[in-house]
Amino acid sequence: MADAAISGQGRRVIFRQGTVLKAVVLLLLVALIVLPLIRTVLFTLQPDTIEAWSDVLSGRLSKNLFYKPLGNTLLIGVVVSMACVLLGGFLAWLVVMTNVPFRKTIGVMATLPFMIPSFAAALAWGALFRNDRVGGQLGWLEGLGLDIPNWLAWGMVPTLIVLTLHYFSLAFTIIAAALATVNSDLVEAAQIAGAKGRRILMGIILPVTTPALVAAGSLCFAGAVSNFATPALLGLPVRMQTLSTRLFGMIEVGQVERGYVIGILLVLISGAFLWAGNRIVSGRRSYATITGKGGRAKRFDLRGARWPLCAVAAVILISSTVIPVIVLTASSLAPSSANLFSNWTLHYWLGESDPSFAQGIPGIAYNEDIVRALTITLGLGLAVAFTGMFVGLLASYTTARFREGWASAAITQISFLPLLVPGIAFGAAYIAYLGAPIGPLPALYGTFALLVIAGTAYLLPFSVQTGRAVIQQVGGELEESARITGASFVRRLFAITVPLAIRGLAAGGILIFVKIVRDLSLVVLLFTPTMPVLSVVAYRYASEGFGQFANAITVVILFISIAATMIANRLQTKSQPWLQN
Amino acid sequence: MTVTNAMRLGAIGVFLSTAAMAGGHLNEMGPEELLPLAQEEGTLTVYSFTSRIGKVEKAFEEAYPGIDLQGFDISSTEQIARLKAEAQAGVTNADVVYISDTPVVLTELLEAGIIAPYVPPRVADRVPDQYQSPLLAQRLSTKVLMYNEEANPDGAPVSNLWELTTEDWSGRVVMVDPLQRGDYLDLMTEIVLRSDEMAAAYEAQFGQAIDLDGAANAGEKFIADLFGNDVILVSSTDDVNAAVGALGQENPPVGFTSYSDRRDNEEEGWALQVANAVEPAPGIIFPAVLALAADPKNPAAARLVIDFLMGDESEVGGPGLAPFYVAGDYVTRTDIPPHPDAVPLDEFTAWRLAPAETATIRAEIGDLILTLQ
Repeated sequence: MADAAISGQGRRVIFRQGTVLKAVVLLLLVALIVLPLIRTVLFTLQPDTIEAWSDVLSGRLSKNLFYKPLGNTLLIGVVVSMACVLLGGFLAWLVVMTNVPFRKTIGVMATLPFMIPSFAAALAWGALFRNDRVGGQLGWLEGLGLDIPNWLAWGMVPTLIVLTLHYFSLAFTIIAAALATVNSDLVEAAQIAGAKGRRILMGIILPVTTPALVAAGSLCFAGAVSNFATPALLGLPVRMQTLSTRLFGMIEVGQVERGYVIGILLVLISGAFLWAGNRIVSGRRSYATITGKGGRAKRFDLRGARWPLCAVAAVILISSTVIPVIVLTASSLAPSSANLFSNWTLHYWLGESDPSFAQGIPGIAYNEDIVRALTITLGLGLAVAFTGMFVGLLASYTTARFREGWASAAITQISFLPLLVPGIAFGAAYIAYLGAPIGPLPALYGTFALLVIAGTAYLLPFSVQTGRAVIQQVGGELEESARITGASFVRRLFAITVPLAIRGLAAGGILIFVKIVRDLSLVVLLFTPTMPVLSVVAYRYASEGFGQFANAITVVILFISIAATMIANRLQTKSQPWLQN
Repeated sequence: MTVTNAMRLGAIGVFLSTAAMAGGHLNEMGPEELLPLAQEEGTLTVYSFTSRIGKVEKAFEEAYPGIDLQGFDISSTEQIARLKAEAQAGVTNADVVYISDTPVVLTELLEAGIIAPYVPPRVADRVPDQYQSPLLAQRLSTKVLMYNEEANPDGAPVSNLWELTTEDWSGRVVMVDPLQRGDYLDLMTEIVLRSDEMAAAYEAQFGQAIDLDGAANAGEKFIADLFGNDVILVSSTDDVNAAVGALGQENPPVGFTSYSDRRDNEEEGWALQVANAVEPAPGIIFPAVLALAADPKNPAAARLVIDFLMGDESEVGGPGLAPFYVAGDYVTRTDIPPHPDAVPLDEFTAWRLAPAETATIRAEIGDLILTLQ
């Protein structure tokens, strides 16, 4: 009897509500995220690989292998994040707080650049500004007879400009959302007290939005330091290396140990800055600015500056959205990027193989490799959207319903870990992790499964966040009552939570789809010739000097990304409070 | 030993011997016998270090309908990294590799058992022994100094490699990053191995003995000076060709590239020509080898394509060899006449690469170049 009682109690401990679920989710996350990172570190600590640490950090190679790329990386991170906060903040202020003309158009367009893959902007830059420094085709401006200096054609300056024009829209979204919540009472009180616009900006709006500015800055920093495509396309031809291009280069030539060491250091740097940013923000936890009363403040009247400021915004937005799209489309049609708008041909799209044209490479519609890459890419997008939303929903459900305990906290922390890991380093970690058989499990190198698993893990922060938003929409009491009537977990999930949240789930899934379809940095190392994805195929064409094919593929990716994003926005009827009057 | 273990061993033994027999059997077959087996396999994958695989693909599928050749243009350096990673993962993607970089290929792929040699019996008696083992060389390829003959109608603007380290050529020497392409690392390594010749050439150029100034030897000194003179590194040989060869340039650069890329002069609008007379040598000449994966998924088709790439019985080798029967590539088959437009092989002054010697210091030179970038 006593025995039975004890074992009964034991069972209850094990099967206490959520314990199993928590354990399953935790195991899953550990396998997806923690193990790859640990395995990478362990790989570099073996007797025959540990030398890589001293090569990278202290040997005669360290200057070129690590410190110079580190300097470039940090310069990119600091300049781009500051420029992004300035640009994004400026636009957010215009849209949310002033009476600038075309507010809504500016608001919509400012979110677009982030939908465009950063390699698209880098390719467009090349098509416009390339000079003859490294041979190959000339850009359009040189074709017009302008003499483009090296510093503007290649290296640090174009990298900074292209990355800023890409990431500012991330800063805009974050800052605009924060500005939209600034309580009008504060502003009105200041206005009554006679404060001028400048004073209000410095004294009220800036302090209140500081957390958003810091968050925007640190996210842009993390994005910029881990970006691979832009420095690779614009910097490598003039030997400007960043940590991410060095990591790629080392692994491509088979010096994997050195590559992994650089990858680990890149994770630490990017993680340290995000952590520091987070610390600053969480230092002042109470920045609740939304209260029950108080309406929207009167907008600042820009008076005579309305149109000039609108023009400034237009220049920024057109050069970050419209121009890249036009340039890419034109250069996928023009045999020579020096004459971007003449002799157009559809060969790069629809041409059959012709030995005398582009070394016999057929147009992308007839190019087996590209068609296969398109199929694989779309399949990958769909698969990751499903698995991502599934794991995301599972993890966020678990933490939302069973909040207590260390396991839930661990789930939350681990699921956001990939945010700290640059895509290219994550890709490297997955090669170390699944590149060789683990016990009885076969190696997944070069398989579709590897791409799906790595993609799912990499985007978990995003899918968990989406999952959480969805779960919160579904009231807990529906689920409670189902549980009381004896419905199982699976039944509850699929009979209540999923149907109620399907729109949100679909929108989240589509956004994951977009993120993976246009991603380059994660897949560039996981790519194998027999399992190609579009973005890598485009990158390879670009670095082999076949710009038109690269640009045509990029136009396809752009089209898919923008179309899918619009569908997602529709589904979500996403509230963009800063657009409301 | 338990009965099951014994049975397992026996089964493994039987399996191994049939595999070996099958392989051995296939190795003796001519193309007619391989064809039906290859058609049954239906497909095969080739990793090739040259983009000419696209033309081979077309020609092969026309010659042997029903077999889908998937050719991938992957640089030798990347092929080696990929093949090693695939082997570690226990995956065989490629059936055939067409690759240069022999110094690394021999040790890291052949000796490691990742690839296997194969010589089609049909041509075995017409390829010199040195090009049959350890791996079959289809042709000799080059990385040599080329110039623009339109801008320099009287011949090469350079007569000594050391001129490239002088003010006149600052920022005007183009090559592919040796850390990205093994052929170029081989070239740099050969320059170091030929330090005596480089020292003599220095004296011939500047009229005084070389001052190493801290460098280990004349070859390393040359490399350091070349990089110090703002050598332009690009990512592919086509970029070198366009930079050096493009028509209508007033003061074109010179660059290290493949002699055979001269074949594209007309199509691409280039004026590439080799600087064969440059002292001490214009560059290197090295074998391009064909090999099977150690355990190809499509063993018959793999052998058939190697047979195809060695050329048919017509005078200059037919469609399989056509992409490679060009001035500047030296086909190893003795019965194929040398290309009429090229410098004959015995007058071609480029250094012959010795894979084993190159392998000894290659990694070291790679690190040296890393410190110079």
